[in-house]
Amino acid sequence: MNARIVTFSPHGDTTLLEYDPASADMDEVNKVIAEYEAKTGAQPFDMTTGERIKKVTRQQNEVLMVHPIAGG
Amino acid sequence: MVSLTVSLVAFFALIAWRFVFARLQGNPMAREIVDPRLRGNNLLDRVGLAVILSDRFEHGAQGVDLFEREDRAKACLRRIVALTGAVQIGNNYVLEIGTTRFHVRDSHVRRLQSMSGPKCEHEETCFCLPYTRVPTAEQIATALLALANNPALFDRWAAQIGAVKADGDVFARAQGVASQ
Repeated sequence: MNARIVTFSPHGDTTLLEYDPASADMDEVNKVIAEYEAKTGAQPFDMTTGERIKKVTRQQNEVLMVHPIAGG
Repeated sequence: MVSLTVSLVAFFALIAWRFVFARLQGNPMAREIVDPRLRGNNLLDRVGLAVILSDRFEHGAQGVDLFEREDRAKACLRRIVALTGAVQIGNNYVLEIGTTRFHVRDSHVRRLQSMSGPKCEHEETCFCLPYTRVPTAEQIATALLALANNPALFDRWAAQIGAVKADGDVFARAQGVASQ
């Protein structure tokens, strides 16, 4: 089963990245996530536990990039 | 006789052209020209996996039914509610962390502290996702997930210091630099 990096978008959830966790280069996956965070401020959460994660591993099948929130 | 020959030649030429055209359409090179985004996507080479570009969805949004979007957003919210242990009461989503209770609804979050004590204080602040337009259901889902992991975010939002990442750091998109 493929793993997915998703985020919320105007269309519901949007898949940013889909990969085979068994064979994917996880360093590159994390690099893509880091680039996305630098661009949008979104940070990764494990959708199985609901916890924020610093680095995605092969064990995570679905990761949600959570965008920054502003108060008012 | 001559006109019959000319007609036959034209007929066979048309058939031949049709086959050539069909082959061109089935050619992978032709397909690549049709979808140049994939050709220019260096992530495909880097990660060695299927990368789905967000702009595909931006363009595809025009074809997505409004009700389908709302359904997807609500499904996401239901999933986050279950994940965080929140409870829906009317339009509010109630999240309890220790002795603190958050009531999250459309663009607003209220915090009640010391629920068991004699003095139950409550504060309220607005919230929004400044850099992305998402359905209300997903705004609430984002707030629930962020608060469940970092309840102190409420104070950061109430302080009105700009966009705050899930870890509490301020995010300035213009510079693309996060600062404490």
